[in-house]
Amino acid sequence: MTGPGRERLASAADDVPQGAVTPGHQGRFGDFDVLGQADRWDEPTRTAVLGRLHQHGSLRFFGVDEEPTVRALVDLLLAQHEEPRVPVVELIDARLVLGETDGWRYEDMPSDGEAWRQSLSALDRAADAGFGHRFHEIDIGDQGELVQRIQNGDVWEGFDANHLWSLWTRYACTAFYSHPWAWNEIGFGGPAYPRGYKNIGLDRREPWERAEIDAHDPVPWADRAEAARRTHARRTGRHG
Amino acid sequence: MGRFSDTDVRSRNASAWLLPTGDERTNHGLRRDMRRYDPDDEVDVVVVGCGAGGATLIQRLARAGTQVVGLDAGPFWDPDRDWVSDEYGSHGLYWTEPRVIGGTDPVPLGSNNSGRGVGGSMIHYAGYTPRFHPSDFRTDSADGVGADWPIRYEDLRPYYEAIEQELPVSGQPWPWGDPHRYPYAPHPVGGNGEILVRGGDALGIRTRVGPVAITNGRFGNRPHCIYRGFCLQGCKVNAKASPLITHVPDALAHGAEIRPNAMVTRVVLDHQGRAVGVTYLTDGIERFQRSRVVVVAGYSIETPRLLLLSACKEFPDGIANDHGQVGRYVMVQGAPQVAGRFDEEVRMYKAPPPEVSTEEFYETDPSKPYRRGFSVQTVSPLPITYAEHVTAQGHWGDVLREYMRDYTHWSSLGALCEFLPRWENAVTLADECDRNGYPVAHFSYSQCDNDRALMQASQHVQEDLLRAAGATETIAISRYAHLVGGCRMASDAEHGVVDSQQRTFAVPNLYLSDGSVLPTQGAANPALTIMALAARCADGLIATRRNGSLRGSAS
Repeated sequence: MTGPGRERLASAADDVPQGAVTPGHQGRFGDFDVLGQADRWDEPTRTAVLGRLHQHGSLRFFGVDEEPTVRALVDLLLAQHEEPRVPVVELIDARLVLGETDGWRYEDMPSDGEAWRQSLSALDRAADAGFGHRFHEIDIGDQGELVQRIQNGDVWEGFDANHLWSLWTRYACTAFYSHPWAWNEIGFGGPAYPRGYKNIGLDRREPWERAEIDAHDPVPWADRAEAARRTHARRTGRHG
Repeated sequence: MGRFSDTDVRSRNASAWLLPTGDERTNHGLRRDMRRYDPDDEVDVVVVGCGAGGATLIQRLARAGTQVVGLDAGPFWDPDRDWVSDEYGSHGLYWTEPRVIGGTDPVPLGSNNSGRGVGGSMIHYAGYTPRFHPSDFRTDSADGVGADWPIRYEDLRPYYEAIEQELPVSGQPWPWGDPHRYPYAPHPVGGNGEILVRGGDALGIRTRVGPVAITNGRFGNRPHCIYRGFCLQGCKVNAKASPLITHVPDALAHGAEIRPNAMVTRVVLDHQGRAVGVTYLTDGIERFQRSRVVVVAGYSIETPRLLLLSACKEFPDGIANDHGQVGRYVMVQGAPQVAGRFDEEVRMYKAPPPEVSTEEFYETDPSKPYRRGFSVQTVSPLPITYAEHVTAQGHWGDVLREYMRDYTHWSSLGALCEFLPRWENAVTLADECDRNGYPVAHFSYSQCDNDRALMQASQHVQEDLLRAAGATETIAISRYAHLVGGCRMASDAEHGVVDSQQRTFAVPNLYLSDGSVLPTQGAANPALTIMALAARCADGLIATRRNGSLRGSAS
């Protein structure tokens, strides 16, 4: 491959893991690498997506008191317990610096940025009250129990629990599933312009798409879902 | 093929032939050479908002020789440069200025229903363009709910036909409502479409492919769809219709001026209570556009907001709000989605999300405890949106990740439930101000029992369809789609803001041309109806102008 897109991809790859990377090595699609198609994307799309690969440097929105808390919370929500990690906190931080909201807020919630700050500080308070340490310092089972209690409740620390949960999960999932490594994990084809798709319909794949090749294959979906529930329960304490 | 050839369409709207044929999607020359009025010029018509309602009307007016300027708060999009084939990167397509939501069932705005820039929400709509049914125009007299329109389906039918040819719409012959055919043949369907057809066949529920405003074959200089699945992120192909490519090029070629990045802040009246123009902000500077007629086309949130922000001595509670109707009866459709798990790979991200629909449940069924109905369509969310579906089950952590890892096996349907218009579902001004110092919109929404019953019923039908197609598990999410109402059309000023010509009862030369005028919403996606109403409104304005009374009379 030649052209400016290829060079950009090569330089972007210098400081990030290469190949068919999946978060925590948890993909189901073997060597499927959506980035292998990047030279076939249009330039504005390539710039936008590849920019997510090298998010580093210090945070600008979250302060040093908030950083360990938000990292622990977001890792927990997305079960990102191992490297390589999608830089979710960096992506959320970048949005909050720009004030890039979804275009609305619940009337009982402060602005998104303020809601993040207040809820992180409330998490530390709750962890301290229950376990005698800050949120990121307590063990993951206790973190899970605390967070599950928020999801189950109506009101938590003055927040409508549903509205707070919505804020956390919207920002976390938007960041995580915007990343090519997450696309590798779930078998999503990623940007498709100007390439498009030729083989549409049930059980039809493009030549560059991959079938699932899970280590446990063939494991029925129901068993996989149940196994995930058990893992979730183990990791997040008694309420998973 | 329909009754009209492409040549007929070209003779009345040449937009598709004014787009470039090469590697570019935008006719830059047409924009560069666009007519530009002097700041002091008084024009015939100024239009606030260049989406489905505004741009369609501008094209019609320009063709008729009217001096027309369109102002839009957002950019004049160039699909090549500004849009990406990426879900998160498309954030800029949405109206993300601050807004506050409340009520017992708050409705999220932004990406869900609010566009930005020339082309409006049709830049990121799925592409479904069904007509309303004849029954939608008289739900009060027929069903005892909702409202009767001051016009009938027959008044809109010729406009539906015209717009369907201009977009153009692809689909199978339509058996519901007023049965009709589409100008272009249906598209082939992807995995998700196959599932809905299969489920319908198994249950004896009729399904049809379409109707979608996506080119099936070349249309003018617009190419065939490439089935890339990013319809909701702006079509970089120029295959999916939006006013940016279906009406704006022809408008510019006929002397209209479109002024992007112009946020209108006030409709200005003179002491006789007639509109004399609008103030707007560009580059942080306030300007004034004088005009003989003002048309507001800012959609269901910003149109009421602008009228409320324009309060003056004659209208202390907001322009045209002398009967407390501005901002009232805003509607959203209940849009629960159900995903089903299949052993086969569905890979619903391939092919356009809008593929197959059924309107079997659209009308009131006397055997049911609720009035009016719903439609069911394929929706095919991309990963970020699908993650919202999974988290709505309460899943997070490892379970969220495992469900997402199974993405290729899931099919997703969505319903559109006809929620009823209610006075208390309203846009008002919040205490909070935007960065320019103007109060932002507060949007309150609360469902009634009929709304909730429809949500339940439509969810069950979707589950049945997916199970009948072979799904081994289904998961549902409650959500909303579309916006209409807020300044509804009515027979008199006590019941609405505009008359059957979309002229405000209160100000004789102030018109509204957008989804805000709809008195009811049916179970159909609103884009086609908004465009058809805009074309009809334009015909009325053109006739008024020919009669020499463009400025309006207070009669």
